[in-house]
Amino acid sequence: MSKYTEEQLEQELKTQEYKYGFYTDIESETFAKGLSEEVVIAISKKKNEPQWMTDWRLEAFRVWKKMEEPEWANVQYEKPKFQDIAYYSAPKEKPKLNSLDEVDPELLDTFKRLGISLDEQKKLANVAVDIVMDSVSVATTFKKTLGEKGIIFMPISEAIQEHPELVRKYLGTVVPTTDNFYAALNSAVFSDGSFCYIPKGVRCPMELSTYFRINEGGTGQFERTLVVADKGSYVSYLEGCTAPSRDENQLHAAVVELIAMDDAEIKYSTVQNWYPGNKEGKGGVYNFVTKRGLCENNAKISWTQVETGSAVTWKYPSCILKGNNSVGEFYSIAVTNNYQQADTGTKMIHLGKNTKSTIISKGISAGSSQNSYRGLVQIGARAENARNFSQCDSLLMGNLCGAHTFPYIEVKNKTAQVEHEATTSKIGEEQLFYCNQRGIDTEKAIALIVNGFSKEVLNKLPMEFAVEAQKLLEISLEGSVG
Amino acid sequence: MLKIENLHASIEDKSILKGLSLEVKAGEVHAIMGPNGAGKSTLANIIAGKEEYEVTAGNIELDGEDIGELAPEERAHNGVFLSFQYPVEIPGVSVTNFIKTAINETRKAKGLEDMPAKDMLKMIREKSELLEIDRKFLSRSLNEGFSGGEKKRNEIFQMAMLAPKLAILDETDSGLDIDALRIVANGVNKLKSKDNAVIVITHYQRLLDYIVPDFVHVLHDGKIVKSGDASLALELEAKGYDWIKQELV
Amino acid sequence: MELKDKLVSSYVAFENRVETDSEVHEIRSRALQNFEALGFPTKKLEAWKYTSLNAVLKQDYSLFPNKENNIQLADVKKYFIHDIDAYKLVFIDGKYSSFLSETTHDTFDVCLMSSALVKPKYKAVIENYFDKIATKDNLTSLNTAFASEGAYIHIPKNVEVEKPIQIINFTTGSEAATLLQPRNLIVVEQNAHVQIIERNQSLTSNPVLTNSVTEVFAAKDATVDIYKIQNDAENASLVDNSYIEQKSKSIVSVHTFSFGGNITRNNLNFFQRGEHIDSILKGITIIEGKQHVDHHTLVHHIAPNCESHQDYKGIFDERATGVFNGKVIVEKEAQKTNAYQKNNNVLVSDKATINAKPQLEIFADDVKCSHGCTIGQLDEEALFYMQQRGIPKKEGKALLMYAFANTVLESVKIPEVKQRITQLIAKKLGVDIGFDL
Repeated sequence: MSKYTEEQLEQELKTQEYKYGFYTDIESETFAKGLSEEVVIAISKKKNEPQWMTDWRLEAFRVWKKMEEPEWANVQYEKPKFQDIAYYSAPKEKPKLNSLDEVDPELLDTFKRLGISLDEQKKLANVAVDIVMDSVSVATTFKKTLGEKGIIFMPISEAIQEHPELVRKYLGTVVPTTDNFYAALNSAVFSDGSFCYIPKGVRCPMELSTYFRINEGGTGQFERTLVVADKGSYVSYLEGCTAPSRDENQLHAAVVELIAMDDAEIKYSTVQNWYPGNKEGKGGVYNFVTKRGLCENNAKISWTQVETGSAVTWKYPSCILKGNNSVGEFYSIAVTNNYQQADTGTKMIHLGKNTKSTIISKGISAGSSQNSYRGLVQIGARAENARNFSQCDSLLMGNLCGAHTFPYIEVKNKTAQVEHEATTSKIGEEQLFYCNQRGIDTEKAIALIVNGFSKEVLNKLPMEFAVEAQKLLEISLEGSVG
Repeated sequence: MLKIENLHASIEDKSILKGLSLEVKAGEVHAIMGPNGAGKSTLANIIAGKEEYEVTAGNIELDGEDIGELAPEERAHNGVFLSFQYPVEIPGVSVTNFIKTAINETRKAKGLEDMPAKDMLKMIREKSELLEIDRKFLSRSLNEGFSGGEKKRNEIFQMAMLAPKLAILDETDSGLDIDALRIVANGVNKLKSKDNAVIVITHYQRLLDYIVPDFVHVLHDGKIVKSGDASLALELEAKGYDWIKQELV
Repeated sequence: MELKDKLVSSYVAFENRVETDSEVHEIRSRALQNFEALGFPTKKLEAWKYTSLNAVLKQDYSLFPNKENNIQLADVKKYFIHDIDAYKLVFIDGKYSSFLSETTHDTFDVCLMSSALVKPKYKAVIENYFDKIATKDNLTSLNTAFASEGAYIHIPKNVEVEKPIQIINFTTGSEAATLLQPRNLIVVEQNAHVQIIERNQSLTSNPVLTNSVTEVFAAKDATVDIYKIQNDAENASLVDNSYIEQKSKSIVSVHTFSFGGNITRNNLNFFQRGEHIDSILKGITIIEGKQHVDHHTLVHHIAPNCESHQDYKGIFDERATGVFNGKVIVEKEAQKTNAYQKNNNVLVSDKATINAKPQLEIFADDVKCSHGCTIGQLDEEALFYMQQRGIPKKEGKALLMYAFANTVLESVKIPEVKQRITQLIAKKLGVDIGFDL
């Protein structure tokens, strides 16, 4: 295992390019690189999984082997070498936690640097946290409080042991193993993630949150999240991601499935800040994620995302509006700088009557980056009175970057009302001079203008995240003005 | 306070100011009048430090220091305020958020801590009352969808918040109806003191009925061609600018 | 035999009939190789995701109808804009009809591609312009491989052509199924001005597939207005590949009116090579039955300070399908570009479908680009209001649809064309009212 010296660490922190770029020295157990049926079986065995789970993984693996990596996204990158990735890495001696005092101090320090103080969170903020480090859940807080309401919030690996009937019933129902190349890969090799079940009529009293972190070098992260909101329930779920700064490209291929039953509501917010690579475009995380939610009658799913990290992002959180009167929302801010590439957007599939969807996408491109919005609004033949409103705004900073929109609109019902608007703009000289005249320097003025541009989306984030997201926007665009 | 000597300036090789000199002392109100294209707005923008203008000769001093090389925000930190003829729109940034940022950035430049939220709110309340601004207005995006009158009132509100040493009002009266004009002028008058100064740039004399100048200057073809007291403005109103032009010939 | 194989194997026979001792011969041969490699487009191609030619390609097309077919002017007069004086280039089953045409060589050339390709007099123009901007995609390559006939229009510097030029391709149905591949070249020199009206018309119910390619060059300060009237018989399908290159300060407008035909695919491509260019792309589509109209537009902003304006309206009834794919690319040199795109659609029936993909690809930061796309219905309130004032529902609907489409008609510069389109819209909507108020 390669170790960083104190000086290296200090040096890395000093650069401030990516403040989460530290590496935690925790002894971990990592599988040899490469992927085969044996590895899939070994992962399953390691997790002590029942046979149905092993079979499910193997089926996914067999499908994956026949699939080809998708090429249609507007991104260019060197394809990951799938045999050169370790598919399992976990902190050794997985802590069995009853209280936080028992947590490995080194790990606690990691959380502190991530800006998550478990102690304080426990006392002050009303947030339950599950931490997934290199694909293994290492700490879940608030289990007891949630348990009283019948809410299950635990690592999915534990859920497979403790609630196999629930997991088996819903896993892969929204994102089938055969859905796409990365979803199939994830299904075969995922090692952990979060599972959440909100019982009928229960309003989850706090924000549920998962922090994902890739720590080990040469590993991929494949986490799996499954959120089931039973009839009439409500949950707000937050997800944060970071990774150390490494010269190599790391692969992150997650799957998130949401199920909102009749009258249920799920809010899913993401602040994605995987390491984006350095200023020359070296290193960084490949973020190839499949996120999809299913809405039954009168249900609602809102996706909110702030995407500032990753070298390459390929991500389309989607809603299948199956039930009548169901609602899908997608609010997104995607910032790309330096050599980052993002191809992100959403799919709104209207199947039920009176279904509604809203898409607000704000893309900000700086440096030599490429930022694409790709979306699909599909109104099925039986979706009477479906409504969609989409707005895609792009802000360009400098003349080396690109902003692209690829909205697909497919309508098969005459009662549909679909509106799509897109604009492209830049930060005007006049705006900057106006701010300067009032004593605000250019860097700050840009942050102010970008925040204003992104406001409709920032407003959708829970408070705790909104502040973090605003800061992230500022950091991501630092030095983008020549 | 402000001393401009023999200022020459051009934009894209077109010469606009051709040897302008002006001295403004603390406690004074100066009006600069002149026909369209005389260089009035250029003068305002150059004092504020707009980069697209090139100063080819002369210098600008504020309190005895040359500010010619300072960035616009540094000039602002030193107390220069320009009320824009056409204030820009900044979508998504509320008036409150904007002015908070402006005040705290100025304080930061002076080595001060951020203004406590409580004090900020109190000041916002006071100054918005002074300019008869509705609280709802303060949460709207800066200048976006504002009427002409609202934009100008917002400029003077910001001036009140920032309490500048030198305020330059560039055509603040244009686009104002008589009630708005009265409110704006009233605001400016209340902010006037023996320690600050105001330069009113205007095409018409009507604003000067409300903000009475100590000196009136006529700008023509990049130079101040005539100076006088408040009566000069009335004379101009009566005779028009052609009178000055003829006098020059 | 599959149509592709049939085409490829007929190439030698085709070569024997045309001049092979020229540069064009090289171009044709390369194009054939290209087509052989690419084949016909399938739905797997992103550009053909929503349009399938499979059914159309199954017909056993006669490739080079050899018979001289004559038609009486009286029978086809209604397909001309006959109430204005115009130059005419008329082709019957792909062959030039001197009887129905009116060409000219005075000061400017309105004549035939077949002679332009071989006569030394036109050599310089052909060398400079022929197949220079057409993309090397499958159907354009197919057309290029067999390019032999079509319109050749060359307007020299400072000439304003006082009357419009009509280009009409008739098919008589003398063959069971006909494949036509007209190839047009329009070169408009500096500060010249020309108006062109295009139409393809099948005179029977026998299947026709037209795969046309038109290259248009607008030099500095030139003005070109093109009107495409697509109101063909129900078994006639069309792939219209148009390529337009503009130089500084030129203005080119293309209006496409799609009412008839089976499958209609318009590939309309603009390349802006100069500053202060204006490109205007407008269209009205009103279709029903199983008709299918697909508009693929591209505006490539390459140089600074240019504008483009797109406005496409679609009304789809019964089982009709509409596709709109509008692509705007702004290169990083193209600062101060203003690019606007609008696509509004109304679905009249439960079985109709619209697939839209308005696409922006922007690499410059100081630009104003916007696109808007809507899909909706007619305003029921307005309809009721009109009914209350005594206008029957059908007429009321037609009035609303006309109003909906009218923003496109406003920029038609030839009054007779505007009037004709208005009549066609009324007919298409099945009402007998004049829309001109």
